[in-house]
Amino acid sequence: MKQSPREQEQTKLFGPSKFSAGGFLGNDPRQPEEIIAADTAALESLGVDRETVAALLAAAFDKAEAALGDVVELKPGVVAVHYEARGKIPSPFRGDGVFQKGEVVVTDRNSGITLYVTRLGIGMIRNHGFFQGRGSRYRIEPEDAVRLAG
Amino acid sequence: MAANGNGIVASILFLVVCGGVLALLLVLAERYILNFGPCTIDINDGEKKVTVNGGGSLLSLLASQDIFIPSACGGRGSCAYCKVTVTAGAGEIGPVEEPYLSAGERAGGTRLSCQVKVRGDVAIRIPREYFSVRRYRGRLLVKKPMTHDIVELRIELLEPPEIEFIAGQYAQLESKEYKGREAVMRAYSISSPPSDKRHVEFMVRLVPGGICTTWVFEHLREGQEVRLSGPYGEFHLRPTEAPLLFIAGGSGMAPIWSILRNMKETKSTRHARYFFGAQTQADLFLVNELRELQRAMPSFAFIPALSNEPEGSGWTGEKGLITDVVSRHVRDASQHEAYLCGSPGMINACVNVLKTAGMPESKIYFDKFA
Repeated sequence: MKQSPREQEQTKLFGPSKFSAGGFLGNDPRQPEEIIAADTAALESLGVDRETVAALLAAAFDKAEAALGDVVELKPGVVAVHYEARGKIPSPFRGDGVFQKGEVVVTDRNSGITLYVTRLGIGMIRNHGFFQGRGSRYRIEPEDAVRLAG
Repeated sequence: MAANGNGIVASILFLVVCGGVLALLLVLAERYILNFGPCTIDINDGEKKVTVNGGGSLLSLLASQDIFIPSACGGRGSCAYCKVTVTAGAGEIGPVEEPYLSAGERAGGTRLSCQVKVRGDVAIRIPREYFSVRRYRGRLLVKKPMTHDIVELRIELLEPPEIEFIAGQYAQLESKEYKGREAVMRAYSISSPPSDKRHVEFMVRLVPGGICTTWVFEHLREGQEVRLSGPYGEFHLRPTEAPLLFIAGGSGMAPIWSILRNMKETKSTRHARYFFGAQTQADLFLVNELRELQRAMPSFAFIPALSNEPEGSGWTGEKGLITDVVSRHVRDASQHEAYLCGSPGMINACVNVLKTAGMPESKIYFDKFA
């Protein structure tokens, strides 16, 4: 997919930087807009929209954060724990501002699937439908988000 | 054939001359058109005035005058740490900084100093503490594990050789490039007491994938040279006689440890209780030192609390979330002051507990990990 200079500049922000050691694309060869398009299609097939998924993840994040580092059960077999971190991280989408660092690790004890949820990750899903590239630590498969946090 | 060759040479010569003329024009333009000449930066209504050559960013020109505004991105306009209030001469808000400024900030003249170009006289307001911020070169003397994911760094200052700070303040540690990762600056509270002017200590908790903390844990070696700037921050003990409540968790220990050691050295007799939250005994550290402090300071009590300690471990101290433990111990907080350091979630929960116990919000001071 051919990109305009502005799009190329935007794509650079998704790579490794002073703020995100691994960047937001992992080893996914697709451009951000291709990832968004594929995940939008996945959401449609699941019958949910990105705002709903973001709200589910935000609720899970809030519940884990309130436990101050203790493990909480989101639903039978699914647990979450919050890890604090100092500072804020800017969104790679210009205009979205900065987000508090820290992550919530959501684990499905039956399947072993783990989601790494951050405030920034939730914001990018809510605002842009961007679930990050495959291979990124913070990539969330839409169906996993719905299944674990829903 | 010869005519063709001459034509090529002439063309190359023409291009070279054109390039030279253009380069000359650029140099002249920079000197005479983009040269804004000496510009005055008035700081805090005349408290300090510096004269700089215009054309650069406010952030970099202030740094050239040894006035360091906190910044984590090196002036790229993406961290929003370098906010200052510009009361005159700022120009229009640019598209890069606009998303980082709330309506209230825009109305109040807040700007990202890295995005403000100094093209004339400028008037700004910054916290007075920034006047004492310096860049330091130091050497790591000790890197000591405190828990499985927290290390203590002890750094000897080389140039300048001494630092003045108030217990509770923080500094910015500069990582070096490694494995393709860029050098970054990150904020850490100083855990050493202000009396030890030739050293600074930090407590750094490993953040998975974190650029600076990974550098600290995996690449920084004892004896290595490090750079930092500081001191920054307004988290410090207020000079009153109110009884004190300290609440922290994890690496939030750092500023409290500095404040407590300073209290001991200054022979403070203020009544103080320190609630430190952890999950298990393995997450506790400095316990012996704090018990020793408790013996040396009769008005001080250290109360560690574990939220996830296994049954039968032999732990006889407090159990439960730190908020519950504080609730049990502090029925009436109306006359107290509280100093909190930890994650926003912990701070918010503790603020609610303290307000419920009657503490006015104005008496709650915190260093959110933000």
